[in-house]
Amino acid sequence: MTTSRLTRRRLFGVAAAGGVAVAAGPFVGAASPAAAGTSLSSDPVLHLIRRATYGITPGLVREVTTLTWPRWLERQLKPNGISDSLCDHHLARFPLLAQSSAQIRATQDGSWQTMQDLGAATVMRAAWSKRQLHEVMVEFWSNHLNVTCPFGDAWDSRHRYDADVIRPHALGRFSDMLVASALHPAMLRFLNNDVSRKQSPNENFGRELLELHTVGVGGGYTEAEMRTSALVMTGCSIDHDTREFLYRPTWHHTGPVRVLGWSSANADAAGGLAVAQSYLRYLAMHPQTARHLARKLAIRFVSDAPSDALVTALAQTYLAAGSDVRPVLRQLFHSAEFNASIGQKVRRPYEDLIATVRTLGLGPDATGTKGSRALYWIVGSMGQSPMGWTQPDGYPDVANDWQSASGTLGRWNAHQQIGARWWPNTLTGPPIRTLLPASLPATWGAVVDALAVRLLGQKLAAADRAAVLTCIERSATGSVRANDEWVRWRLSYLVALILDLPLHGLR
Amino acid sequence: MTEPLTQTQPCGCPAGEPSRALSRRNFLRVAAATGVLSGLSAPLLSTKLAYAAAGPSYTGDVLVVLSLRGGFDGLSAVVPAADPHYYSSRPDLAVPASLLLARGPLFGLHPALAPLLPYWQAGTFGAVHAVGQADPTRSHFAALEEMERAAPGTSLRSGWLDRMLGVRGIGTTFQAAQLGSTLAASSFSGLAPELAMDNVDDFKLIGDSAFNLRRAAALRTAYASAPVTQSAPAVTALGALATTAEMAAAGYVPGNGAGYPDTSLAKALRDVARLIKAGTGLQVACVDYGDWDFHENLGGPASGGQMYDHLSVLAGALAAFATDLGTAMSGVTVVTLSEFGRRLAQNGSGGVDHGHGNAVLLLGGGVVGGRVHGPWPGLAPAALDQGDLRGMTDYRTVLGEILQKRCRAGSLSTVFPGFTMPAPLGIVSVRS
Repeated sequence: MTTSRLTRRRLFGVAAAGGVAVAAGPFVGAASPAAAGTSLSSDPVLHLIRRATYGITPGLVREVTTLTWPRWLERQLKPNGISDSLCDHHLARFPLLAQSSAQIRATQDGSWQTMQDLGAATVMRAAWSKRQLHEVMVEFWSNHLNVTCPFGDAWDSRHRYDADVIRPHALGRFSDMLVASALHPAMLRFLNNDVSRKQSPNENFGRELLELHTVGVGGGYTEAEMRTSALVMTGCSIDHDTREFLYRPTWHHTGPVRVLGWSSANADAAGGLAVAQSYLRYLAMHPQTARHLARKLAIRFVSDAPSDALVTALAQTYLAAGSDVRPVLRQLFHSAEFNASIGQKVRRPYEDLIATVRTLGLGPDATGTKGSRALYWIVGSMGQSPMGWTQPDGYPDVANDWQSASGTLGRWNAHQQIGARWWPNTLTGPPIRTLLPASLPATWGAVVDALAVRLLGQKLAAADRAAVLTCIERSATGSVRANDEWVRWRLSYLVALILDLPLHGLR
Repeated sequence: MTEPLTQTQPCGCPAGEPSRALSRRNFLRVAAATGVLSGLSAPLLSTKLAYAAAGPSYTGDVLVVLSLRGGFDGLSAVVPAADPHYYSSRPDLAVPASLLLARGPLFGLHPALAPLLPYWQAGTFGAVHAVGQADPTRSHFAALEEMERAAPGTSLRSGWLDRMLGVRGIGTTFQAAQLGSTLAASSFSGLAPELAMDNVDDFKLIGDSAFNLRRAAALRTAYASAPVTQSAPAVTALGALATTAEMAAAGYVPGNGAGYPDTSLAKALRDVARLIKAGTGLQVACVDYGDWDFHENLGGPASGGQMYDHLSVLAGALAAFATDLGTAMSGVTVVTLSEFGRRLAQNGSGGVDHGHGNAVLLLGGGVVGGRVHGPWPGLAPAALDQGDLRGMTDYRTVLGEILQKRCRAGSLSTVFPGFTMPAPLGIVSVRS
């Protein structure tokens, strides 16, 4: 992890308006939380879309409703059965991503272009892939087994890590993904296992394997077992000329090893790779790993504080399914706790950005990739470049970690510039006027209602609606002229304001 | 004053309101945000509003917490040159004694700290060595969380800076800030407001400015009733916009000819200096400077070595900050914190793995500098803690002395619950 930055940033939040001291006590009795705001629609279709995809599109609500949500979910759990021609078509505009590491090394000479392409293509797929749940899970696992991108030492391999480790197993068995990850050159470089040898083990990977990838902090291992964990993995390296995986028997520690109930005689160096694989598969199926992953999945899809009962149930399913995540997800989305969790997750900057693109009905560039690259840049400036978390633990996924004044401004600014198509200005899509019905509503109140339904999937509560109307200096009952500035040339400001509302910030 | 956040109290949340799911902590913050908003009658986005302080003004030092995340190798920065085990344990990585700056009987400074040498000699830059946490973990994540929570043995979820601000009970929008990052450190977690921003100049709404004034008003209304995790940052952002706009329009020329290096750390510290000089009421600022996790290639004591280059960035930025502030540094204390130090012995990759005891650096007019404070355990094998420098001084001892002598803190029982403050080390003088 030498070249990554460790800049852990967390917070639980802030609470004060400009310039006024806040003492908690005096306000306790006076508060009426959530008095007048718009509550998120409890429509189960919208709820599932907000959680299992990157947000509504003009056609998606109808698609899920028509199919019924349980059947739509089953289709999403089998992504290879979903035609994704639009996405495939645009993915072909990133030809480096289809190349092997050897091909990249032959032509790219250390350039970070392939990693930049991976970032832009990831945004493109999140916005426009039909395999939405797969894309969401790719993001989940990319964070869980994070190899930050861009990462200088993985300029030739980071895209293969995405293509060969994360994507094939994102809706498959974790044990397969874990072994593939641990033995992939990108991870071996990122956490330094490539240079760990028996005489002088490098503990970076052996520690994070336990602490982050499998059983988790508090998983019951001792500091001595952590050091053994590093010893078990010695020898799993790369050829520093070809940069491909290489098992180096002379670097492998031999002799009996024991970690968390797993043990091996580990008698000879020739068998060291098999010992390491056995260790990885054991860890993938450890009950603490099951709980760790179940909890993370529940936090991703249900709430920031899922119940112990849900975590336990999901962990049991995970173990019974041999670490296959699909039955876990099926159980999760069918659970009462999921059903009752409406509005309990906030969108992080990345989810806000992609949801904005999707609900506006924007499509990828007609030619080239400028629009996808611009979106990748914008979300980076908002603090959540996909795969860009520099530490091995991946982006946090609870609201408390994402409260930020400048992050909030960044979202509002993104709504404005994307909605107005200032930048990116190459994305395709119908004119912004089509966000309103072809036949204009009679009153401004009805215009706001129509826009809210079109963009957020629901109407606003009275107070929010009134605030929007005040902002555009129109009355609810005022009649709408077709050449009004808010229809003709300032509509993007009104659209941005509706996306700025708290509702769009929830998933 | 902030109460421990884990106390349970009936909060009066409406039943059947799952989308709000208010913990007591969140509930309090909703209460605070809505209470403040409902009392708001001043013109929106008024500069005065942003600057105004209720209650008596804070008269202590501005505390700047510089987080060296990733495990700072204090043994390379403040080198125990007189300890032979340092050289025998790091045959390829030890800094030769001949290159050290400000050689004392035991310690010397890494040559990359040269920009700070004048401050060392002037007695405003100093260090404390063998500082550690009570928690012996060598996990980045657990160690960081514990360090910023600073309440071992309790179930508190707030951060120590938040509790410090809560005890102080005086606040403005700009009282606490994270610069150089859109996300704040977990030491700020909790009730007291803080302002996280990448930088002052970009903290603005784009587009039509007249519309944006009305947009901000609409958003104040809409966010007043939102879940606090959404409303709190929104309200803080709206409260700060006018001030940042004024500051951006005014531009900034650093004082005393200070030339900030072109690094993100220097940019962040430059904005801290700006906020101090603009009289925004800044009391505490956090800045991150990470990437110290040198499991391999720590490098030699010359340009191109990773540790050398990192320390150069650190020293260059701090020296520019001190130059810029000039005499105002008499009211500023900078302290570095890192979750743990690194193992004494080098590993097989030319690096050092996670360790324990560490060095803390101090810069400011009240610092008793030019020396290395704290008891030193030595580096002989029997003196080590699992192969690592032993933590002889709890880091809360360092922070507690700064808070009490420089930042007008009295009892530390809320800031560092359960911690008995030992006799001060004498690292800072009492603020007059």
